Amino acid sequence: MNTELSRRAWLQRTGIGTAALASLLPTSVNAAETVPHFPARAKRVISLFQSGAPSQLDLFDWKPGLADRRGEELPDSIRRGQRLTGMTATQTSFPVAPTKYQFARHGESGAWISELLPHTAKVADKLSFIKTLHTEAINHDPAVTFFQTGAQLAGRPSLGAWLAYGLGSENRDLPTFVVMISQGSGNPNDQPLYDRLWGSGFLPSRYQGVKFRSVGEPVLYLSNPPGMDASARRRFLDDLAKLNHMKLADAGDPEIATRISQYEMAFRMQSSVPELTDLSSESQHTFEMYGPDASKPGTFAANCLLARRLVERGVRCVQLFHRGWDQHTKLPTQIVGQCRDTDQPAAALIRDLEQRGLLDDTLVVWGGEFGRTVYCQGTLTANDYGRDHHPRCFTAWMAGGGIKPGQSIGVTDDYSYNIAERPVHVHDFQATMLHCLGIDHTRLTFRSQGRDFRLTDVHGEVVSELVM
Amino acid sequence: MRGVLSGILAVAYAAGVLPAAEPALPRIDFNRDIRPILSDACFQCHGPDENKRQANLRFDTKDGALADLNGHAAIIPGDVAQSTLLQRIISDDPDEQMPPPKSGKQLTTEQKQRLRQWIAEGATWTGHWSLMAPTKSIIPSVSNQKDVIQPIDAFLLSRLEQGGISPNPPTDRATWLRRITFDLTGLPPSLDELESFLTDDHPAAFERVVDRLLASPRYGERMAVRWLDGARYADTSGYQSDGERFMWRWRDWVIEAYNRNMPFDQFTIEQLAGDLLPNPTLEQKIATGFHRNHRGNSEGGIVPEEYAAEYVVDRVETTYTVWMGLTMGCARCHSHKFDPLSQREFYQSFAFFNNVPEFGRALKLGNSPPYIAAPTPDQQGALARLEAELSQAEAEWSQLDKTVDQTLRRWETSLDATTSSNWQFTRGQVWTQAFEMAAKEAETVPGRIGHARSFDGQQFFNAGNVGAFGFTDKFTLSAWIQPRGNQGGTILSRMTDVEHGDGYALVLDNGRLQLNLVKRWLDDALRVESAFAIPADEWHHVAVTYDGSRLAAGVRFYLDGQLVDTRINLDLLNQTFASKEPLRIGGGNGPKGRFHGLIDEVAIFDTALTAEDAAILATAETVGQLAAIPGGKRTLAQQQKLRVAFLDLAADADVKAARGKFIDLTQQRETLRETFPTVMVMEEMPTPRATHVLLRGEYDKPGERVTSGTPAALPNLPDDELRNRLSLARWLTDPRHPLTSRVAVNRLWQMVFGTGLVKTVDDFGSQGEAPSHPELLDWLAVEFSQPPSLDGAWDTKRLLRLMVTSAAYRRSSHITSELLRLDPENRLLARGPRLRLSAEMVRDQALFASGLLVEKLGGPSVKPYQPAGLWKELADADYVQDHGEHLYRRSLYTFWKRTIPPPTMLSFDAAGRETCVVRENRTNTPLQALILMNDVTYVETARMLAERIRGESSPLLSDRLAHAFRLVLSRPPGSEELAVLTTGWQAHRERFQQDPAAARQLLSQGESPRITNAHDAELAADTAIMGLLLNLDEAITKE
Repeated sequence: MNTELSRRAWLQRTGIGTAALASLLPTSVNAAETVPHFPARAKRVISLFQSGAPSQLDLFDWKPGLADRRGEELPDSIRRGQRLTGMTATQTSFPVAPTKYQFARHGESGAWISELLPHTAKVADKLSFIKTLHTEAINHDPAVTFFQTGAQLAGRPSLGAWLAYGLGSENRDLPTFVVMISQGSGNPNDQPLYDRLWGSGFLPSRYQGVKFRSVGEPVLYLSNPPGMDASARRRFLDDLAKLNHMKLADAGDPEIATRISQYEMAFRMQSSVPELTDLSSESQHTFEMYGPDASKPGTFAANCLLARRLVERGVRCVQLFHRGWDQHTKLPTQIVGQCRDTDQPAAALIRDLEQRGLLDDTLVVWGGEFGRTVYCQGTLTANDYGRDHHPRCFTAWMAGGGIKPGQSIGVTDDYSYNIAERPVHVHDFQATMLHCLGIDHTRLTFRSQGRDFRLTDVHGEVVSELVM
Repeated sequence: MRGVLSGILAVAYAAGVLPAAEPALPRIDFNRDIRPILSDACFQCHGPDENKRQANLRFDTKDGALADLNGHAAIIPGDVAQSTLLQRIISDDPDEQMPPPKSGKQLTTEQKQRLRQWIAEGATWTGHWSLMAPTKSIIPSVSNQKDVIQPIDAFLLSRLEQGGISPNPPTDRATWLRRITFDLTGLPPSLDELESFLTDDHPAAFERVVDRLLASPRYGERMAVRWLDGARYADTSGYQSDGERFMWRWRDWVIEAYNRNMPFDQFTIEQLAGDLLPNPTLEQKIATGFHRNHRGNSEGGIVPEEYAAEYVVDRVETTYTVWMGLTMGCARCHSHKFDPLSQREFYQSFAFFNNVPEFGRALKLGNSPPYIAAPTPDQQGALARLEAELSQAEAEWSQLDKTVDQTLRRWETSLDATTSSNWQFTRGQVWTQAFEMAAKEAETVPGRIGHARSFDGQQFFNAGNVGAFGFTDKFTLSAWIQPRGNQGGTILSRMTDVEHGDGYALVLDNGRLQLNLVKRWLDDALRVESAFAIPADEWHHVAVTYDGSRLAAGVRFYLDGQLVDTRINLDLLNQTFASKEPLRIGGGNGPKGRFHGLIDEVAIFDTALTAEDAAILATAETVGQLAAIPGGKRTLAQQQKLRVAFLDLAADADVKAARGKFIDLTQQRETLRETFPTVMVMEEMPTPRATHVLLRGEYDKPGERVTSGTPAALPNLPDDELRNRLSLARWLTDPRHPLTSRVAVNRLWQMVFGTGLVKTVDDFGSQGEAPSHPELLDWLAVEFSQPPSLDGAWDTKRLLRLMVTSAAYRRSSHITSELLRLDPENRLLARGPRLRLSAEMVRDQALFASGLLVEKLGGPSVKPYQPAGLWKELADADYVQDHGEHLYRRSLYTFWKRTIPPPTMLSFDAAGRETCVVRENRTNTPLQALILMNDVTYVETARMLAERIRGESSPLLSDRLAHAFRLVLSRPPGSEELAVLTTGWQAHRERFQQDPAAARQLLSQGESPRITNAHDAELAADTAIMGLLLNLDEAITKE
């Protein structure tokens, strides 16, 4: 199933009418392109997006020298007049706020990891860290949008939509691209999210992510209305199919055949999704591995466990969004909650995938939309500090299919303010992800308004040190 | 007719109608055959963008392509052998080959062949078709004249005849009626309409239907939906905060404009520049909301200049997409890669829209300036009636007012300094503290009036839960103060008691009076202070008024009753500063912020007092004391206080009544005005903002300064004009503009036939698709902008009538495998359009068929059913669902939250409304199936449809089912269909009889009450079958 031809065949088998098919396929010369472009290391991706922007200074980017400079003004030679957000631009002072947490090296790779992430530390050798990720926007909306779609402004397809479009599905009973949201305990009212982050942009809307929810129905409108049980629904669908077939015979429009098969897919989802979200068959060991939150629907832990179940079933892209990392003030209080939410489940996901032989062909990525400033936002006290948005350097990690583990890419300056060596732009990060999935990021394109668009715009280079 | 002939063949093979290897390709047409190849394969490196141009060679202009390059040339007309272009494209050498292999672009053998033939034929060059003004095409003659109803048909048939394709016969009348009723009103026909059309044997029966539909107010609603997509209309501001805004008055203007059939040129001018017309009407100002519909960012910490630039960019891109079908946005960071649009020209367009007195950070809640009050017609009527009454009352009062001075003087003489009357100004007063009752307390000292309270920077007076104001409340804070030295402090506040805490505070800082309204200090706050210091160690009356506008401009300071100059230190208030803290007198801003000095007679009002009120308030003397001052010696304020006291206390009854009525009506008018919706509008700053080319498109990288202008590739903007938005709008609607009319008619074509004549409705540039029927497109464009009778210029209804009364529109949409093979996308229109209904139509039809639809034009957006928690889980916002008739309004009135749009609308391919979208999109997904089966909207409409047929049909099951079938599909069921429905119904009934609880559950979905007293199991079975009908492919398809 890895040629354009077979994709067409697949689309037709799943009942996409010819008219629809014609409109779905790209019209550029790249239409004949085969996707994947080269053998894929990863077949699936799980993105653990940490929304709000975790502090690299308190988690991964260890700057021991800062302890002695506590409270000193951030030198102009470091700040270099670079723009700040409106929240701190008018601060009269920019005191250095060293992390209050201890760091240690972990694993054979010797990765520096903060005491806030003890479980992540145990799987350090499975991960590769990028210390010098950088982005363009300085505020959440454009930065999160940039991370997910490669552009700051609305209207472009998200990563998962690109993958659904490029690679199609491996599962006929579940959506190709699934999204799950969790709310961090660190900062319960933190930063909203938006449907566009998993939207299809100018791609046909069938490629948009399907949100799995922890309250109400797992997928919107999945459940039959009260009073209609599965047998009544089956009867309904049989009658519907009969009538639609009569129409098909009469009108000859292949879209009708598509419609019939989409109703069948909907029916299959009505059983496959509840089966998927029902965790009762998971072992006690598994729950223990993912931690106490794993049995609470809607938590990051439960979503990690669901992510594993989804990729097990061949879902192409699973995207988790965990909110609550926007720690302008009271960072030490808030970050503890955030780490408690995410550390154990993320590490468990890595171990679980590995134990099941899935890590080799599942790419897992962890990171936020930007980093946080070394200088304190608000008042620096003995036990308290806050950090503003910082797009110039931040840390993310990648693991699994296609990634050489145990590496640390790039070096920041002594303040984790500027990049000293090996910058990795968000477009590079995206190019690398696509590479792991067998996609040349310059060749996965879709023509909209006369231009062949891609996830990485006209930029992006695969981080060659990272990939196998 | 060479062009027509070759056009037919070329497009026929392009559309797959003819085998691609057709050997005898007629003479090459540059625009049709060559430009698309050059554009796609060459322009990226040899095109308009001078910065990316390689080898100083360009193929986007004739001169460039034929240029002599040191003795050779890429193209030598007629000389295939010497044209290096050909040598390079046929080369196998990777270093020679063009396009270079690494570009990913590749020419097909056929494309190479075409280039060769073109050069051999003399390399004729013409400008890009869409940039040349359309000329009226000659209507082709066709052999089958009887199939020609409208000129459109001749164009279409001519093409079909060339391809040897015979068109489908006309569809049956019922199908045509359902098709056109959806197309022109967005709803299906009623059974009465169906019946009367089926029995109307008048020759003009079809035209009569068209006239009826175009005259229906539903027409405006239907047309508005697509315009709203292009205008990126929504009920929230978008970006992260995505707070509510109010643009529905603009939306209603659009509906009204369509219903009145406002000519498209006027429609354009009023939306782009209504404010710049001479003496613009309210409606013309509302129209300019078009370009305030873009998103607005209110996220904390943004750099406002960055977003101010984004808004203008959005206006440029939207204007070009909607009116010109050009992708001008591509020229923001560099000159366009394919079309003759330079980066400099982008910013010349930018300059037209860069003069709005706006701020880059939008307000989180509500409309951001500039906006205007936009009363609805009903409200305007109410206001006019009230103003008539008021002017009557004012006349009566002013008549009596003249008599007051005499009686006042008589009253004065009855008073003296010992008079006990303690009259004070109290209108709007919500709380006061004179510090009299606390006289025994140590801090109480002789005051300005009676006693005052003394503060020494240590303590404050806790007044409890009074003066609870937020950012949209009007209020006045006032007090007598006697500051001690220069120490100042907080006079009164309702705020978190820390420095810069959240809330409001009236402060004396370095002698200056200062009002702080704070949600978050520095980036969500407002600070205004007096321009000078208030003298210390003496009594002064201070009053500050705030008008609820959220703006520093809405703050006034009065010192001793006189308006004083202020300066604005901070004007970034974005969220409410309402605080749960108590009102503190002498306190706030933490321990260091306490007041030093005396405070007396604190009074708080829930109105913004007028200057006159403030002057009276600042007059400390009692009525008796004032009366004792000889008339000529009183200040204006003293005289006024005495007069108002008299009017309140002792005036004649008729005077009191007339004054009371006048005040009351004035208040009523104020109250009415406060209910007026507002709408954001365009305004022009007196001095235009400087516009620069932004290097790489970045707001903080200004380059060369530019002034407003239009691209050189398009007609000239008349020189003698102001070159403002009005000039731009007039330029666009000049009939000689090559794009405006083509783009507009093409979108109408898309609406009616499913695909534009130019499929890429949003790209008429060289990367866009060439028109399938260029002559037809131009004929329609000229018919639109320059019709035979100028009365019909830019007449949208007329143009639609030309389309929907055509034979092409009447054709059956049946698809044969032959037609599917020859023309899968139905570009040649041998058959009628068969397309899934739009998101809005799918829902509106279900409401209509069930009888639930509440038809009411316009008004605020409504919140129908939506799964619980949808806003909560993403944005911590509550979706407060409406009830009653708001659940059943047409879908264009559904509240549109940009970051979390209504999921059912999005699943059915509605545009997202974050940016301009004009292309229609149709997909076919399992999520659509789940919605139609399970969304309460459709379960409820099924139930109400079941109820409805019980009320309208004979009780016979087959009659009921047939009736419902007609209501949904406008046709009777066939016998096999009826058999499926009948046995299905019986199966459902049997189950519901066995499980009465299930029947009751199904029947309890939705908020509309049961109507008939039908048996539960029967009605539930009906409901299941009605649901089935609403799920049919045919039900959600325009056939």
